[in-house]
Amino acid sequence: MAKMKRTKSAAPVIRKSRGDKFASWMFLVPTMIFLGITALLPLLYSLYLSFFKLKLNLPNATPEFIGLGNYIKMFSDPTLLTSTGNTLLFAVVSVALEVVIGLFLAMALCSDKMWARICTSIFLIPMIMAPVAVGTLWRMMLDSSTGIINYFLSFFGIPSITWLSSPNTAMISVILVNVWQLVPWVTIICAAGLKALPADCLEAATVDGASNGQIFRKIVLPMMSPVLTVVVMLRFVDAFKVFDTVYVMTNGGPGSATEMLPNYIYKQGLKFFDAGYSASLAIIFVVVMTVVTMGFLRLRDRMEENL
Amino acid sequence: MNRKKHRKLPTIDNIIGNFAGKPLRVVLIVISMILILFPVYWLITSSFKVKADYLASPPVLIPSQLTLDSYESVFGKDQLVTHFLNTFIVAAVSTIISVLLGSMAAYSVARGAIGKKARKYFGLWFMIQKMYPAIATAIPVYLVMRTLHLIDTKTALVIMNTSFNLPLVIWLMMGFFEQLPNELEESAMLDGCGFTKRFFYIIFPITKPGIIASGILAFIGAWNEFLFAVILSVNKSKTLPVVIAGFITDRGLEWGPMAVTAVITLVPVLLIVWAAQKNFVQGLAMGAVKG
Repeated sequence: MAKMKRTKSAAPVIRKSRGDKFASWMFLVPTMIFLGITALLPLLYSLYLSFFKLKLNLPNATPEFIGLGNYIKMFSDPTLLTSTGNTLLFAVVSVALEVVIGLFLAMALCSDKMWARICTSIFLIPMIMAPVAVGTLWRMMLDSSTGIINYFLSFFGIPSITWLSSPNTAMISVILVNVWQLVPWVTIICAAGLKALPADCLEAATVDGASNGQIFRKIVLPMMSPVLTVVVMLRFVDAFKVFDTVYVMTNGGPGSATEMLPNYIYKQGLKFFDAGYSASLAIIFVVVMTVVTMGFLRLRDRMEENL
Repeated sequence: MNRKKHRKLPTIDNIIGNFAGKPLRVVLIVISMILILFPVYWLITSSFKVKADYLASPPVLIPSQLTLDSYESVFGKDQLVTHFLNTFIVAAVSTIISVLLGSMAAYSVARGAIGKKARKYFGLWFMIQKMYPAIATAIPVYLVMRTLHLIDTKTALVIMNTSFNLPLVIWLMMGFFEQLPNELEESAMLDGCGFTKRFFYIIFPITKPGIIASGILAFIGAWNEFLFAVILSVNKSKTLPVVIAGFITDRGLEWGPMAVTAVITLVPVLLIVWAAQKNFVQGLAMGAVKG
């Protein structure tokens, strides 16, 4: 990501001309305009809508100003509380599993040989599959009567489980599907990070007779920590945004057992047509995500300084 | 226990790879391969199963007869070709625009003469932009597109996908541009090569791996995009993910045709990614590892 340190290390010999300055800005202008119109303006529109009551299903509805009404409504919305809790649980558990499994798989996969390249090719499959397709595929496999998972479990004498229609197992299913899709991503990135570790450092440690545990704790983990921080950040933020798989697997059900924030915001806006409330939820969501992102960035910068 | 081996050949492969011993390494990799490949096998076989097989209980592990029934039904009555083309056009156009504009912006932020402060704030803006949830703008975008009569058009989807992909491309390309040696640009400058010329004739061509990686990521992102596709399309501009989800919400358990659509959605991107695997993996790792 944006790393400014590198540019200052070697100052250009020639001072950049005025023409350069103009051209540099011209290079930015199209993106600024495009993102301004398609991302910032809608966000401001969301902010504006969040102070209004607007029913989308009435054809000629005009927004009615209600001040902080939508924000106050949040405090008496039990489903919002549930879905916030669910999103947090989902994000924490799936990211933790993904990072731990991903790191160990990356270590096992850390090789330049042919078999490692083939394994990488296979690891690429889940992560580039459309999340909607992943969700439906697993929904098919988790089906309580025709699903293959229950069939396999029956070999071990485990009775048929209604995966997606009981609250607890529904949450577990959604988490496991996310883990299935994204462990490969973590693995591939961690494997790249491991290969970039200084080989002489590891060699010296082995020659000096360091045990595997010592190498892992004293060399691999500390040196991988900036990479792991970025991985956790990207995965965490992404897990918070989970929508597609939940939408096709459970659509928040049963009840609101797997209701997550994005799905809830979507439902408020496009199922219950309460555009104002949906917008206010979205605004709070964005604020929280921005704070989380900034926190992670600061953490990462500090880790790199410590190295 | 591996110490003898290390002395002989102390490579990263051996030290880290055989960390927990070779047998465990093999077991770990074999299990992960099975866990990944089995669902894929299940998806592919389901797309070739006869209806009685994909609805059978207990499920049929190895189909006794293969059929193209599901393929025929999907291609016949469900306008799958149209949806496929929609998806392709939307993904391709938005990829081209976002790679072009995004790498220009990234070059400007990474190497341009815009000043330290602007560099910092633009970097931050694009970063946060990449993080923020698409759902936040869903309602306003829907309202605006409705006013502009762009609902159910590919234009609307191209615009929104480009908007998501731009920050991603910028983020990746900045990493690539920052790695370039200064000397390259300096010698070009001495030859009287201006900023624009430098970018298009010198920098752009040599960062081809980066362009390929970010292009593929953008393409996959748009190809698989679901939220805006489902909000902004009714029928004409439906993309493949919307069709897949439709099998669940509209028609109950038609696993066969659903599997066909999922296979058709997966295969093109898989081929692209495999063809450019080296660049793609490098690009993926770029953000997290290098910078």
